[in-house]
Amino acid sequence: MEVVLLKIALLFYLLSTGAFLLPLLSTRAVPRAIGPGLLLAAFLSHAGAIAVRSLAVGYIAVTNSHEAVSFFACLIAGLCLLVQMRTSLTLLGAVVSPIGFIMTLGAFVFYTQVRDLPPILQSAWMPIHVTFALLGNAVFGLAFSASLLYLVQEKQLKSKKGRSLFLRLPSLETLDELNYRSLSWGFPLLTLGILTGAAWAEYAWGQFWVWEPRLLLSVLTWVLYAFLLHYRTAGWRGRRAAALTIVCFAVLFISFLGVRFLPGRHGGQFG
Amino acid sequence: MANPRPHLFVLGLNHRSAPVEVRERLAFNNGTLEPALRRLVDSEVVREGTIISTCNRVEIVTCTPDLAIANEQVRTFLANEQRIARPLFEDHLYSLVGKDAVRHLFRVAASLDSLVVGEPQILGQVKDAYTVASSLGTLGEVLHRFFHKTFAVAKRVRSETQIAARAVSVSSAAVELARRIFDRLGDKTAMVIGAGEMGELAVRHLQNHGIGNILVTNRTYSRAVELAREFNGTVVPFEQLHKQLRLTDIVIGSAGGNDYLLRPEAVEEALRERRRRPMFFIDLGVPRNFDPHLNDLDNVFLYDIDDLQQVIEENKDEREREAKKAEAIVAEEVETFWHWFSGLEVTPTIVALRERAETIRRRELAKTLASLKDLPPHAQKAMDTLSAAMMNKLLHPQIAYLKNVGRSNEAGGTVDLATLRRIFGLDEENDE
Repeated sequence: MEVVLLKIALLFYLLSTGAFLLPLLSTRAVPRAIGPGLLLAAFLSHAGAIAVRSLAVGYIAVTNSHEAVSFFACLIAGLCLLVQMRTSLTLLGAVVSPIGFIMTLGAFVFYTQVRDLPPILQSAWMPIHVTFALLGNAVFGLAFSASLLYLVQEKQLKSKKGRSLFLRLPSLETLDELNYRSLSWGFPLLTLGILTGAAWAEYAWGQFWVWEPRLLLSVLTWVLYAFLLHYRTAGWRGRRAAALTIVCFAVLFISFLGVRFLPGRHGGQFG
Repeated sequence: MANPRPHLFVLGLNHRSAPVEVRERLAFNNGTLEPALRRLVDSEVVREGTIISTCNRVEIVTCTPDLAIANEQVRTFLANEQRIARPLFEDHLYSLVGKDAVRHLFRVAASLDSLVVGEPQILGQVKDAYTVASSLGTLGEVLHRFFHKTFAVAKRVRSETQIAARAVSVSSAAVELARRIFDRLGDKTAMVIGAGEMGELAVRHLQNHGIGNILVTNRTYSRAVELAREFNGTVVPFEQLHKQLRLTDIVIGSAGGNDYLLRPEAVEEALRERRRRPMFFIDLGVPRNFDPHLNDLDNVFLYDIDDLQQVIEENKDEREREAKKAEAIVAEEVETFWHWFSGLEVTPTIVALRERAETIRRRELAKTLASLKDLPPHAQKAMDTLSAAMMNKLLHPQIAYLKNVGRSNEAGGTVDLATLRRIFGLDEENDE
């Protein structure tokens, strides 16, 4: 059941990617609601898959790479839909849909059967830590998507070309505002994710900090975002902010994957 | 006997077929349109119709049983109403019948026949013409349906193509660009420098799109005051131009003179003061008002008159491409409408054929059942079913043929409906 739902979600991510990007390649008009509609379908089946797995194991399914990647993708899709509902930023889906597709594909690569939790993960801190961290990641994912669109729109406006682009990109102001708002939501979430992680480590290992690459990367990500947010608040905006947002998200993503691939207790226990 | 199917008929002229001297003499205005329309439909041959009259076209849309006479009558009508001799305008007329008339009205309403393809006014004008005719009661079932379909087609073209989405004038292109930079114009300030006509147009356009504030400056202070009053804006003394720059989101250069009014250093300073909020510079001056290097600054977008012209050219190409899609939609819709319309001619005959068969069947069935009183109900029912099935089988080829003829046949008439009705005795009074 879980796998079937996940496959359906994967298909819908692919379809919504197509619906958002088709107008780029051909002159065929795609009715406006189709892309968001397909993304909604993807999100619902994805959330269904996670719910089924969580019910089967009896806890929120965020305990290994498969589950974490899947949860991350589902959160981004959900947040994107939320933003689309409240603003005219429909095109955000053009970036989020392929992200959703690729990450869900990744979830299949990392797929593991349901298993009993090792004792270290059987802690109330676990879902709190992972949920905050992933929610923060997803919000930063939105900031990243908005920044990507910002750079495309900015480039077109500066070069005075690219009018052949069929898509109506959102205005720079809208994209810049979404970037700022996502950053100011994402940063506290990321901070909470790190703090709850430390609390959990204190509780599980008896020390809140260990020197391992994964944790160092996390801290680096935090510092980068702190830097970005600071300069944004001080009035930095536009192209530079967008570019730095993209760099920050790249580092965040490496750090996220590091849970699986980097040596250290995090990875070892997490598998 | 049932009426034969009427003909859809459009007689008109437009900006391509007739020069303005002719169009202006044939145009109807608010005062003359209604009485004229009443006189138009006051005839046996032209019983319903409407007049679409704009500065680019005059079209008379009618529905008539006799084309030749209607053609003559409408021409005479135009000559009489506008007191103009027929030879003076007849060469510029086009007359369209049947499917061609349908296609024409669809194209007109969808703005495919307009001088500027995709301009939005024409649909409203066609709607007005319809409303006037409708309230005067000069429209029958066919034209009502025709116009409703026309509006639906225009709406479909508008929503499924981007035919009207792109700006094709300098000032609307400027607004279009502004909206790609700014989400809302209501909290933005525009400053216009100089008193050029293009600048004035751009300001008007921005105001139509709800720009928050207008600042006006000019080398001659009194001229600035004058303009500010016109735009309901605020005067900025020319010496304070740089100082006010930090409050300004959109700067329109429309001044004469050979020197750049703004250089990157000044704008960079303003940007710092306004925390790098984006600025949009529209340079409408020739020679240019702003240093082209402004465009190199982060969050500054500079478009000069040539850049805007290029945007317009690309938009026009875009409209051409979209027009092709729109034509395909029109072609499809013409077929759908024609399918309905061509059914009109044969429908009464088909209905009569069915009714007659059903009457005979019921009568004969009643007679038979009356003589077989003790037949059990299920047997009675079976006889009813049997007779109905026989009738349907017998009539099926005729009806299918009629429907087919109706559809394939354009101007009405290779099937002789009158003969057909006689063969089946459809017009006889209830026999026996």
